[in-house]
Amino acid sequence: MSTFLQQLVNGISLGSTYAVFAMGCTLIFGVLNIVNMAQGAFFMGGAYFGLEAARLGLPAPLALAVALAGGGLLGMLSELVIFRTLRARGGHRWMGLVASLALARMMIGLAQEIFGTQVQRYPASDLMQISWEIADVRIQLLQVVLLLVSLLLMALLAFVLQRSSIGRAIRTVAFSEDVARIVGVPVGRTILATFFLAGALAGAAGMLLGNLFNVVSPFMGEQMLVKGLTVIILGGLGNVPGAVAGGFLLGLIEVFSVAYVSSSFRDAIGFGLIFVILLVKPNGLFSGFEERRA
Amino acid sequence: MSAWISQFFASYSNIIDLCLLNSLVGYGLFLALSANMFSLATGGFMALGAYCSVYCTMELGFPFAPAVFAGALLAALGAAAIGAPVLRLRGDYFMLATFAFTEVIRVIALNWDSVTGGAIGIFSIPRHTETWHLALAVAVVIYVAYTLRRSYFGRAIAAVKQDDVVAQSMGVNVFMHRLSLFIASGFICGAAGALAAHLNYFIGPGDFGLVRSVDALTYPILGGVNALAGPLIGAIFTTLLPEALRFSNQLREILMGALVVAIVLYLPGGAMSVFKLRWFGVRAGETKLAAATEQAQS
Repeated sequence: MSTFLQQLVNGISLGSTYAVFAMGCTLIFGVLNIVNMAQGAFFMGGAYFGLEAARLGLPAPLALAVALAGGGLLGMLSELVIFRTLRARGGHRWMGLVASLALARMMIGLAQEIFGTQVQRYPASDLMQISWEIADVRIQLLQVVLLLVSLLLMALLAFVLQRSSIGRAIRTVAFSEDVARIVGVPVGRTILATFFLAGALAGAAGMLLGNLFNVVSPFMGEQMLVKGLTVIILGGLGNVPGAVAGGFLLGLIEVFSVAYVSSSFRDAIGFGLIFVILLVKPNGLFSGFEERRA
Repeated sequence: MSAWISQFFASYSNIIDLCLLNSLVGYGLFLALSANMFSLATGGFMALGAYCSVYCTMELGFPFAPAVFAGALLAALGAAAIGAPVLRLRGDYFMLATFAFTEVIRVIALNWDSVTGGAIGIFSIPRHTETWHLALAVAVVIYVAYTLRRSYFGRAIAAVKQDDVVAQSMGVNVFMHRLSLFIASGFICGAAGALAAHLNYFIGPGDFGLVRSVDALTYPILGGVNALAGPLIGAIFTTLLPEALRFSNQLREILMGALVVAIVLYLPGGAMSVFKLRWFGVRAGETKLAAATEQAQS
């Protein structure tokens, strides 16, 4: 029982960071119908921004803000340099995938050049040392803070998307770019804002996960990109609440399969499951009905 | 002269092998892309081909050629098995399903220690692959692609690429055409995986992941998906460039990324589109039409 509860705690805190990262991926997909392969690099960038800010002695909330802003700026950069130009030139949708992957490699190379290839760690703080034992279950303060920050980011994104004018514009563009133009939504700026939000979420997730495992390296983004893609398959492409649920689900599946299923083949089961989900419910686990996009 | 040539081959044979190998994979993807199948299954197919052929040569004592054929066949079987359900999915879901397939294969390779060597991989694979094997394979694949384009099958595929609903209404069995191309693509990628395994002395699960799959797509897309020479040009370019930029390891990645971004931005139809635009005005109109239908569909 205590193993179960312990894994539940670990799974939820891990899943919350997956959810934050996947929200960004799914947001871009919902608006532009593309997968931004550089999202993993923004994740890595955010972790380094947060790390540098923490080393400068900024308190944790400010460091997180730096990671958010840094990731967001990187996201905007990818839109300005690659995706906007490609749209203007009428390039094929596939080109965006190739170009964003190239951008990701460029950023990994840059990170190696600037920060070196070794794994780096966040400066020790109270956050990492404090933990409680409740009925054999060890809960770290860090895990609680991580979950709270993730929930806050989710609420913030929900608020921006549902209540603000920029959110309404984003939803209109996601529905149809042409309709958005007709009703006077500044499409270019809205897409730029979407990229900022997605990059910021990736950056925040980078700092959160960097703290949870206390590992920051130039290559941390590639693994995360695979997880992000997995989560958006689970939750349904372009479905933000689905990404949140899918993120928690993936986190729980990962920790529970380590604890209960023999460790070999556990990921294979997970990905096999995803394969089946794609075939049976291609709009994600949480879609009520088959909805065909016009 | 001949001394010079043999010296050239001695010092550059690795790079030539790599160029040919990547071209082979590029043509596998070229076939898939010619029916609008944006497949990320390459890594999985190559893994199937590589592990199967290595098992055949090292454990079962097969000669080289049957082992490569067995690997390619297994990959083709894999393509047939996943193709039937996956091809019913629409564009992006197809891409993600093939991605999931690659990950399943990679993870199985990571954990099936007795056959795949697990995370450590398989070492000291006998080197059987010669440059001429690779060159022959590429030549055969180019010839097949060339004849296919001029056959009824090729024209049907071109129709499917333009608009699959219209093609279906004109009596083209879209599903079977796509499936057979997907299987052919799997076969070629499997053969490439088998050849790669017997070229590099070593295979590990890390060789066949998402990055491998996207790299494979890069060759035909950079070279141009409408031109027969596209994958070859794309593969040679992306293979030679890192060698030319060998002076700095990290700078290499940065410059490489920047160059690929620049090509994508300035030649959105792929490198071969330069020739088409200049030499055949009609062809240029054709690609514009294709872009327009693409836009209308999405």
